[in-house]
Formats: sequence, structure tokens, C-alpha cells
Amino acid sequence: MDSDDEVNSVISSEDLGGDADSSVGDFGGDDSDVDFDELQEHDGFDTQEKDLKPRKKAFEIDHKVYSPEDIQRQQDDQVAEVATLLEQPHESTAILLRYGRWNKERLIEQYMDNQEEVLDKAGLGQDVQKSPPRIEVIDGFVCDICCEDTPGLRSFALKCGHRFCVDCYRQYLAQKIRGEGEAARIKCPGDGCNRVVDAKSLDILVRTDLTDRYHQLLMRTYVDDKENLKWCPSPNCVYAIECGVRKRDLTRVVPTVFCDCKHSFCFGCTLPDHQPCPCSLVKLWLKKCEDDSETANWISANTKECPKCHSTIEKNGGCNHMTCRKCRNEFCWMCMGMWSEHGTSWYNCSRFEEKSGLDARDAQARSRQSLERYLHYFNRYHNHEQSAKLDKDIFHKTEKKMTLLQSASDMSWIEVQFLEEASQALQRCRQTLKWTYAFAYYLARNNETEIFEDNQKNLELAVEDLSEMFEKPTDQLSGLRVEMMDKTTFCNRRRIVVLDDTAKRLKEGVSYNLHFYGFGVVC
Amino acid sequence: MKTPAGTLDIQRWDCAVPGREKTIWEGGLFKLEVTFPDEYPTKPPKCKFIPPLFHPNVYPSGTVCLSILNEEEGWKPAITIKEILLGIQMLLDEVNPESPAQADAYNLFKKDKTAYEKRVKQVVKDNPAP
Repeated sequence: MDSDDEVNSVISSEDLGGDADSSVGDFGGDDSDVDFDELQEHDGFDTQEKDLKPRKKAFEIDHKVYSPEDIQRQQDDQVAEVATLLEQPHESTAILLRYGRWNKERLIEQYMDNQEEVLDKAGLGQDVQKSPPRIEVIDGFVCDICCEDTPGLRSFALKCGHRFCVDCYRQYLAQKIRGEGEAARIKCPGDGCNRVVDAKSLDILVRTDLTDRYHQLLMRTYVDDKENLKWCPSPNCVYAIECGVRKRDLTRVVPTVFCDCKHSFCFGCTLPDHQPCPCSLVKLWLKKCEDDSETANWISANTKECPKCHSTIEKNGGCNHMTCRKCRNEFCWMCMGMWSEHGTSWYNCSRFEEKSGLDARDAQARSRQSLERYLHYFNRYHNHEQSAKLDKDIFHKTEKKMTLLQSASDMSWIEVQFLEEASQALQRCRQTLKWTYAFAYYLARNNETEIFEDNQKNLELAVEDLSEMFEKPTDQLSGLRVEMMDKTTFCNRRRIVVLDDTAKRLKEGVSYNLHFYGFGVVC
Repeated sequence: MKTPAGTLDIQRWDCAVPGREKTIWEGGLFKLEVTFPDEYPTKPPKCKFIPPLFHPNVYPSGTVCLSILNEEEGWKPAITIKEILLGIQMLLDEVNPESPAQADAYNLFKKDKTAYEKRVKQVVKDNPAP
């Protein structure tokens, strides 16, 4: 989002040239810029179309960051607007809107159709007492919860008229709010009563520490209820993000958003940024890695399969005459051929030519190939994950290096910022690279995939170059400054090329390797 | 109920529910342990038949499945113990087939009413009211 200002003009020729190669004849995209804009209009997402800037890249997603105050204001505005329309007091309108999950139009429609039913369902059923609820002392009152009947006992009832002593009410509300994190749907403690406790009554009953928590929880439900809002998942971050990407769009777009707290995450699944790999694949991949990786490594290194039933077998000693415990097939561990064909060359297998042995080795090779294929992608994915961590360590050392550089050479603080930029570029690029491998695992083999892999390779080379420079001793760093700045820019550009290209492909629909993707899933 | 130390534990009650007259449960008395959580009355007490009762809405552990005893459903602090016990008494004869809690009683109840009633009468005989 930050470093692409001048990038567009520089890379557009090669980048979109690549795209033109990959598109099918009729699309024919020579005058690339125009072509891309048209594509965006064809199947761009409704929310984006209007404010589409010409500079915007295919992988960039429109989004807005809101502070808690903004969110509160949004809620208040909507409540005020609907309150005048429905001629209901503020508190009741807020309850109605929460009941309607903040879908104003639908709520108003339902309300107009059947006012009583909506009020009842929202927890604003028939009012028994008309006056606004307040704490009262009533003669001869017995609390239904604690059976207390001391004269002068202070009690409270919502408009439903179910009256309980203030202590019981407070305890109930405190338990609900603090213990259960409930706010929007706290009901009257009366048996079978559907009346919802409103914010005003709550303010009358409990102390400020609890009301603060209550309002915080209400705000949380507001964001949770709205499909286009999500909290930033970063620890202690208070911001929420608005983004127009819907769930059903997630196969065609990877909506990475940037919070003001500097955290970047996917709006679809709230995991850390995983462009260019779509959410569904990320989920599959993570699951696969969790289940398989170490096991697969070990299996690949230490076992063979029974040529008949494909059970995985570890040879833990003894001779080459194997008897599969499962299917009782007898075979030779060396050539994988049937033992009966072995003739007299027992215990000293030098055969290679017999058919059964060849077939068995073929089948085995195929099965192992899929394992190897997975490990190929996993190892690279894992490597970038590890390297990103190491790069981060180096970055912390960089900060020290930066101070050192300032004292060792006569560079100013501004001038050593290139190290920080390089470090950030490395982090970002490795994050992207990591997910390109997960993505590639599921891709079908075709020309587009080859282009993708070329882009991936280019980025990887650039990143490794930069990473190498980054590790140089401090005294050499100042001499490398210009070169490192160039490399940093180059890495960022290569990353944009990869992301832009895949984002466009996703929009057009990608063909996946269904064998690995799982059956029956069409993407 | 007494604690092992011999003092009274007011959070655990020993109760018993008699079968209602003119139902197949008449004449039986079923022991029930009622445990009150620290959050009572915001949270409902837990009611458990000891030993576990043969009934479609009683879990194999003996715990009773009843909407007013469920925090997420019908529980309200204003519900009294008397109402709970009466509710459980009603549940004995008025099975709620929407939320089965044990396979044994539920399957028999669904497939073979006479066998179910015969079995209930046996349970009543084993747990007679004094």
C-alpha cells in the first residue's frame, strides 16, 4: 500500500505484458491498462467500482479504519435516524436495531408490517407500567428471588412490571455482564419474561465500572453483527476495519487490510496477511501442515509401501524377504518384486528386469511422488516462515546497527533508514513468498501457473539477494547503501508483480488441481 | 446435605420427586440431587437423579434435561425450587421428544410404547414411595 506510488509506470509494461500472454486469445490484452480497467468493471465487486482509482492494483482492497469513537458515533447516528422514523425512544430503538442486527431497512419494513410482533420479539413486549423505570420503595414488597421483605427495601422493575430488590438485580446484571460477557440480550429476571434490560435502566442500577464494560460489550456486538466490519485481531488493538468484500467473493479475492496499528490481516478469515493464497486454500493448507508435515517427512525417509495393498512399511531389521502383515503379500524389500519370482537369488537381490518388480516400483514412485510434491512446497513454505523470523531477529540487531552506523560513519539518522526499509521489505516479501508456495501446491499445471512460478522465482531471487546483503557486517553496510536501497525497491516491485498477477487470475477464476484440493470443491 | 466433615452444605440438596397420580409413574419416589452453583440464582441449579433414571429426557449420568434448567433457554433467577421440582415431576409423564438425552429410554419410547410403559412400571416398583 505504501511503496507503490511510482511503481505502476515502471512495471506496467512487463507486468501486463505477462498478463497478456496468459490471457486466452479473445481477451487479447495488448493495450494493457485499458484492458485491466474493463476487466475490473466486468467482475469487480460492487463496493469497489465507484471509487476505483486508476492507480489501484488488482490486489489492493478498499477499506477504512475506525476508532471506537467512530463506531459509537455510527451507532448513535443510526439509532437517531431510525428513532425518528419509528417514533420510538432512543433506548428502545437501540434494542430494536440490535434485534434486527443493524439491518435498518429490513427492520423498518418488518416494523411497519407488524409492529407488535417485532416489539415483542425484540424484547419490548407489552408495557405494564407506563412511567419510566426507577428505583422505588413499595410497602409490603417481597423479592421473588431472595424472599427478602424488610420494610423500606429498595426495588426495581422494567416496564414489564416484574419487581425485584435492587441487590438481586445488581448481582444478576454483574454476573451477566462480567461473568458471561452478555450485554445486548440481558433479559428481565422474571420467569418467562422476554423483556430486554435497556441501557438507561442499567445506568440506574449499576456502578460506572460495570456500565463501561456494558457499553464496550454492546460495541462489540455491533461490529460482530455487521458483515462489513471486523475488529483488528492484533492484541490490544482497539480499531475496527470496514471492508466491502463479502464471504461469497472470497474465492476470487484475498482482502488484505491494513490497520492503523500497523497490523495487516485478511478481512475474510482474520489470519495474518496471506496474499496471494485464497482463504479456503489457506485453511486447507494449514490443516494439512498441522496433520501431515512431520509425519510425511518421516514416512518419506524411512518407509516403503507394500506393492499390493500400499500399507506403509518400516523395515526394522532382518532380511529382504518381506511379508506384509496386512495382506500377507510376500515381496523383496530391494526390488519390490514378488518373492516367488525371486528364484534362487534369495537374500541377495540383484534382479531388475522382472515385470512385477517394475510395476511395483512404478506404483510406488507415483504414490511417493505425491508425498514428495507436498514436501517440496511445504519445505519452501516453512523455510520462508523460518527465514522471516530470522530476518526479524536481524532487524532487532539492525536497530543497534543503525546506531552504530551513525557513530561509525557520518551518516545521519535519516540516511540509515534504508536498513529499516530493507528489513520491512524482507518481512513482507517473505510473507508473500510463503503463501505463494501454499497456493502453488493447489494449482493445476498450465501456462498461467508457469508465469506464476516465474514471478515467484524472480521475487525469491531478489529476496535472497537482499537478505544476504542484510547480513553483512556493519562496516560494509554503509558502502552498500545505494545498492541495498535499489534491491529493496526491486523486491517490493517484484512482490507487487506476483500479487497483481495472481489477484487478476483469481478474479478470472483459477483452475486448481482437484486431486489435492479435495473432491467436489469447485472454486 | 452433609459434607464429609459432617457440616451442612447448603449448595447441595437431597430431594425426591414422587410420580404424579393417575400416570404410569404413580407410586414411585425418585431421588434427586440438586446442586447450586456459586452464581445461583443467575445460573440454574443442576438436578441429577441418583441413581440415573430411565427416562428419555434424563442423561445417562442422571442429569435432567429441562428448558427451565438451561441457562441458555428458559432459566430465570425468579424461578423457585418448588417450580423446578414440579417441572421435573411434570416432565416424568410429559416426555419432550424434541430433546432426547439417553438412547435407551428414547428408542423404546419411540418404537414400542407398551414395552416402554412396562419398563417404567418396573422402575416405579424398584423405587416405591414409602
